[in-house]
Amino acid sequence: MKNGFVPQTLTEALAIRRREQVTPYGGGTDLMAEHHRAGTYLFLHRVPELTRITEDDTYLRLGACCTFTQVVNHPATPAILKEAISRIAAPAIRNLGTVGGNIGNGSAKADSVLIFFALDAKLRLMNADGERILPIRAFYKGRKELDLAEDELIVEVLLPRQMPERYIYHKVGARAALAISRLSFAGLWSVEDGKLTACATAFGAIEQMVVRLPEVDEILIGVPVAQLHRVRSQYLQAYSAKLNPIDGRISALYRKSVCLNLLEDFLDQIQSAE
Amino acid sequence: MDSISKSVVKLDHGPKVRGEALYAPDHPMEGVLHGKLLRSDRAYARLLSVQVPELPEGYVFADWRDVPGENVVLLILEDTPVFATDTVEFLGDPIGIVAGPNEAVVDQILSKIQVEYEDLPPVLDPETSETIFFDYSHQQGDVDQAFAQADRIYEETFRTGYQEHGYLETNGLTAIPSDGKLTVHGSIQCPYYVHKALKKALGVEHEAVQVIQDVTGGGFGGKEDYPSILACQVAVAALKAGRPVRTIYSRREDMAYTSKRHPSRSRYKVAVKDGRVTAMDIDILYNAGAYTTMSMVVLQRGVICANGVYHIPNLRVRGRSAKTNTVPNGAFRGFGAPQTFFSAEMIMAHIATDLGIDPLTFKEAHVARHGDPTSTGGKYHFPVPLLEMSEKLTREVDYWNKRKEYDTQSGRYRRGIGFSFSFHGAGFTGSGERDIIKAVAALQKYPDGKVEILTAGTEMGQGLLTTFAKIVAKELHLPLNQIIIALPDTDRVPDSGPTVASRSVMVVGELLRRAAARLKAEWVDGEAQRFEEKFQEPDFVIPFNIETFQGDAYPTYSWGAHCVELEIDTFTGEHKVLGAWGCYDVGTPIDMTVIVGQMEGGLLQGIGYSHMEQMVCDRRGCIRSNSYSDYTMPTSADVPNMGVMIHVEEYPEGPYGAKGAGELPIVGIPGAYISALEQALGADVHHIPFSMEDTLSKWTEVQTL
Repeated sequence: MKNGFVPQTLTEALAIRRREQVTPYGGGTDLMAEHHRAGTYLFLHRVPELTRITEDDTYLRLGACCTFTQVVNHPATPAILKEAISRIAAPAIRNLGTVGGNIGNGSAKADSVLIFFALDAKLRLMNADGERILPIRAFYKGRKELDLAEDELIVEVLLPRQMPERYIYHKVGARAALAISRLSFAGLWSVEDGKLTACATAFGAIEQMVVRLPEVDEILIGVPVAQLHRVRSQYLQAYSAKLNPIDGRISALYRKSVCLNLLEDFLDQIQSAE
Repeated sequence: MDSISKSVVKLDHGPKVRGEALYAPDHPMEGVLHGKLLRSDRAYARLLSVQVPELPEGYVFADWRDVPGENVVLLILEDTPVFATDTVEFLGDPIGIVAGPNEAVVDQILSKIQVEYEDLPPVLDPETSETIFFDYSHQQGDVDQAFAQADRIYEETFRTGYQEHGYLETNGLTAIPSDGKLTVHGSIQCPYYVHKALKKALGVEHEAVQVIQDVTGGGFGGKEDYPSILACQVAVAALKAGRPVRTIYSRREDMAYTSKRHPSRSRYKVAVKDGRVTAMDIDILYNAGAYTTMSMVVLQRGVICANGVYHIPNLRVRGRSAKTNTVPNGAFRGFGAPQTFFSAEMIMAHIATDLGIDPLTFKEAHVARHGDPTSTGGKYHFPVPLLEMSEKLTREVDYWNKRKEYDTQSGRYRRGIGFSFSFHGAGFTGSGERDIIKAVAALQKYPDGKVEILTAGTEMGQGLLTTFAKIVAKELHLPLNQIIIALPDTDRVPDSGPTVASRSVMVVGELLRRAAARLKAEWVDGEAQRFEEKFQEPDFVIPFNIETFQGDAYPTYSWGAHCVELEIDTFTGEHKVLGAWGCYDVGTPIDMTVIVGQMEGGLLQGIGYSHMEQMVCDRRGCIRSNSYSDYTMPTSADVPNMGVMIHVEEYPEGPYGAKGAGELPIVGIPGAYISALEQALGADVHHIPFSMEDTLSKWTEVQTL
C-alpha cells in the first residue's frame, strides 16, 4: 500500500505537489488524529530547506518543517515564541509537531500562530514556478481557509528581527499540559524616552481566526507611559467594540471578559515595567 | 507496620512493560468477525421498523429476535434489554449488531440500515421525571423535635456532575461459539456477572458458558456492569454467525454510550443548637439514566453516607433515583458516596463559617467516635482515627498558618487551603456479602509444591494479582515465585464475587489467608491438595435490614483526611493546584507501592471531578464531551505536588489487618478542593465540577456585591 511520497529535496517536493493530490505532512500530530485512511501524504521531514533555521539581516527564517523542539532550542528564537511553544501539548508532540503544520492546520487555536501574528511574521510560499511572500495575516482568509494554492507549500516563516523588546503571554487551557487553547494572548511593546514606540497585541482561540488589530494598538503608540491612563478607556473600548468571540464549550461572555481583563493587565504591565 | 507492606515488583509488571500482555484487541483476528452496534439516534422513540439492506455473504445482522433466551441483560433487575424492541430509551440504545469479516464493510452496512422512529418526548431532567426507580429512606432520633428546638436552621442545595471513568482501554469483548459452549473473553471486571447475564440471555445452563478475563486496562467500576450488556450482544451475533465475533469500542463510542457517575442533586436542611449540629434532613436525587443497571446499590451507598463522617443524633435521609432518557449511569469508584460526601462536607463548612468557627474545628467537633452509632443505627466497632489523621496532616502541610494567611490577601492571584474528611464502608452494602455474594475462594496445591490461587478476582491495574499472591505466600512461608495466579476463567475458578466495592483484599484476601493457613497445617509433600474457604459474616456485625435501612451497613470503614491548596487567577478563573495531600487508613497496606499508587490516582481523579471534568448532555440527550480533547482529565502536570500519608488501624477480620482501599481517595477530595476554592474566592460554592468559567463569574459576582 502506498499512502505517500517522501521527497529528498524541495524541488522534488514541489514537483510532486504539482503532480499529485497530496496532503502536506509535517510532523503529523494533527493528521494522525484525523485518521483519514484513504489520504495520500507528502512527507516533508527529509527536505533540508524545510527543516533548518537560518538568519539574515532582516529575518529569522524558520523552515516550515522545523519541530517545536528545534525552534525552542535555537538561540535566536524570541523569548515569547519559546514561552508559547513550551505550552503546546507535551514534549513528545513538540518533538514531532512543526511550525508549518501548526499554520497549515488553519486553526485560530494554534499556539505558535498567535505569536507569528503578534510579530507580524511573513510566510514564504513556493510552487514549482517560484515563490511569493505574504504577511501571515493575509494568509488566513477564514476558519480553515488559507491562501495556499493546490500546488504550493509553506516553505518558511519569516520572523522580523526587529521586534518590540518586552512582552507578556498568557494561555488559558483546560489543564496544564495537553490542552488546546481556550483563549490565548500575546502583547509586545517597546518604550523609548518614556514613550511607547511599538505595541502589538493578538488573541488566539476566541474567533475563527487569530485576532490582530494594529489599528487599535495604534492608539497607544507615541503615548508617554506616564500618560497611558488618558487613553486607557479609549483603547479598551476600541478593542471591546471589535472583539466578537464565539460561543463554544466556553461562552462568548467568558471569552470577552477574560480578553478585557488581560488587556487591562497588559496596560498595567506596561506602566509598572517603567 | 506488618512486613507484608514492603513493596515487591507487581507480578504483571514484566509482561505489561515488555508489551507482551494481550489486551482484548490484541488477540489474533484470524477467523474472528468484527461486530459493531446499531444504535438509536433518538433519546426516546417508538421503534417502527428496521430495514437492513441485503447482506453480503459472511455478514450477519442480529437483533432482539435472535436472542435465544430472554431479551434481558440480568444485572440487578431485569429491565435492560439485550436489544431494543418496541422503544428506544436513550440516544445510543442498541438496536442490533452487524458482524462480518471486513470492518469497513460492517461500517457501510450500518450506514445503510434504515431505522424508522416515532419520536416521543424524552425526559432529560431527573427533577421532572415521573419514573422513580428507587426511593429509600432512613431515620435516627427525633428530627422534627430537633428542628423545633434549633437556634438556627440552614438549607442548601448541592449538585454534582457526570464523571467519565477514563480507563486507558475501552470496552471490548470476543464471543466464541463452539459445540455446546459459548466462551466470552475480554476487558472484564466481574467475570461471574457476565456469566450470569449470558446464561439468562442465551437460556442455557451454567456449563454452557465460559467467561475469561483478558488483560484489562483499567475499570474504576466502568467495567462492572457494562461488559454484561456487551457480552450478551456480542454472544448473540456470534451464535447467529456461527463464528467468533469481537467488538472493540472506539473512544467516542465508549464515552458517549457506556456508564458514568450519576449526576446528583442533594438538599440539606440542618438544625444547629448551642453551636452543634443536632439534626439533618436530607433529600437526594440521582439521575439514573434510561435503565436501572447499578443505580439501586449506588443510591443505597449514597443515602447511607449522606451525613459524611459526622455523628448526627437526629437524621432523616430520603434518596431517589430517577429515570431519564439518557445513557444509564452505573458504578464508579466511590459508588454513590462522592456525591453525598461532597454535600455533607460543604454544608458543614458553610455552617461553621456562618457561626464564625473554622470549618476544620467545627468538623472535628462532630466526627463520629469509636463506638458511636452509624447513620443506620449500626456501630463504629473499631477505632475512628480521624482526629489523629487531621493532626498529622495539618502539621505536615502547615494548614493552620496557611489558612490564616489566606484569610487576608489582595491582587490578581488568590489562594486557599481546604480540608475534608471521608470514609469508605468496605465491602458490599448491608448483608450483600452474606446473602448475595457468598464468596468462595480456593487454593490448589500441586505435587511440585507450587500453590495456585483460584478466585474470580480481576487485575485491572490495581495490583490484585500481586496482593493476593503476597498474602498466600506469607501465610505459607513460601517465596512469591511458588505462587501461581492467573486472570480468572469461570471454568476454573470458584465465584469469589465481583472485583468491586474495595472488597477483594479485605474479604477474598482473608478467605485466601484462611485457606493458606489450613493448607500449611495439613501440608503433605508431593501431593495435590485443595482447600476452599467460604465467606462468613463476622460475629460482631449487627445484621443489616435492607427494608428499614437499620444495622451495620458495613463491617468496618477505611478513613481519609484530605487537604488541597490552590491558587486562582482572578483575571481568567484558572485554577492552579499548589498541593494535594491525603492521610489514609486502609488498615495494613498489603503493598505500599500499590496503596500509594491507588491513593495518588484517586486524589487526581477527585481533583478532575471537582474542577475540570466537564460532561454534559445536550437537548437531544446526547453526551457532547465524547473525546479526550473535549473531556479533560488532569495530568501529572496539574498536580505536581502530591503527598500521601498512611495511618494504620488494623482490622482483625482482614488479612494481616487490611481493609478496603481502592475507592477511598476519591470519596473525599471534592470537599477539600472546593473548601480551598471558597477561601480563595471568598464565596460559597454549591456544585462540582466548578469550572474556570464558573470561577470567573462567581468572582465577578462577589466583587460587584
